[in-house]
Amino acid sequence: MASEERLKGNLLGPDPNRLVLSRGDTATLAVTYFTAGLAVSVLHVTQGTDPLVVIAAAFIVNSATSTLAFAAVATTGGSTVAGVMSGWLVATRFGLFAAALGPRLWPQRWRRAVAAHMAFDPSVALALREHTDDQARQAFVAAGLWLCVPWWTSAVVGALIADQLGDTDALGFDVILPALLLAIVWPQLRERSGQVVAVTAVMLALGLVGFTPGGVPELAGGGAALLVLLRPFRTEPC
Amino acid sequence: MLTWTVVGLLAIGVYGQRVIGATALDTDRLPRRWHAVLTALPLAIIAAVIALQTLTSQRTLTVDARLAGVAVAGLCAWRRLPLLVTVLAAAATTAAVRALV
Repeated sequence: MASEERLKGNLLGPDPNRLVLSRGDTATLAVTYFTAGLAVSVLHVTQGTDPLVVIAAAFIVNSATSTLAFAAVATTGGSTVAGVMSGWLVATRFGLFAAALGPRLWPQRWRRAVAAHMAFDPSVALALREHTDDQARQAFVAAGLWLCVPWWTSAVVGALIADQLGDTDALGFDVILPALLLAIVWPQLRERSGQVVAVTAVMLALGLVGFTPGGVPELAGGGAALLVLLRPFRTEPC
Repeated sequence: MLTWTVVGLLAIGVYGQRVIGATALDTDRLPRRWHAVLTALPLAIIAAVIALQTLTSQRTLTVDARLAGVAVAGLCAWRRLPLLVTVLAAAATTAAVRALV
């Protein structure tokens, strides 16, 4: 019986009944976004933003990089317009993520539009690792909820107790998100094409730091995806 | 400092881009070879995000304790350790380097 099921599983590809995200995966998303929410809220409140505005931003902007990009421009003497443009620009990657994943989620556009609010780096990366569209959808919704709910919760907590928390960087909070992202994309880095794309993206992004507005290095890095059009790095027959 | 107006404008721009991305594209009409580009796009952007979050500060290149933490994360991922172990080891490494240096 068991071997028959295993055989069936092998013939049909990945077991459609398996949980797409393990408990460990969801716990990690929760811990990562809880700590990130705390760190971001504390930062905004200590810079003088009303705690209520910080909380609202977590829910409706739903992008820490956007509010941080605005704050970075504002604290270095930039105008409000420049700050908002910068906040929009760093979120352009979420639009591109949504474009990459959207067609695999639902055929109905209104559903994609609702779910798009949860388009974050890890939720999209985890969904795209799945083989079937069903599993991609499950992974995206599960990952989206397991990161959004802790992130919103900690944004509220962080905004209210910012004075007591002190310096979250001393605890290494600022390295948790890049560490998580690295671990999530690691399987793609085992392949030659993935390595070439990633290394090129890193060089493009770091090369543009300092003399381009925030958000541009990320998007330029995205241009490295075009390398898969070249014959040696093609991932599928065209 | 964020204000209600700023938060409102950011929300419109960020959600607007997410919705346009999620709904505008119909991959059936996209040539097959561009599917591969679309699949590689998140990896490319995420690789750039990792590098920028690790090696820049206030939009200048900076090498500090974060690099040690992300390097440990890479080591953990290579050894296929659980995600939670990976992120906690990274944070602990960065915190330890900051405490010692």
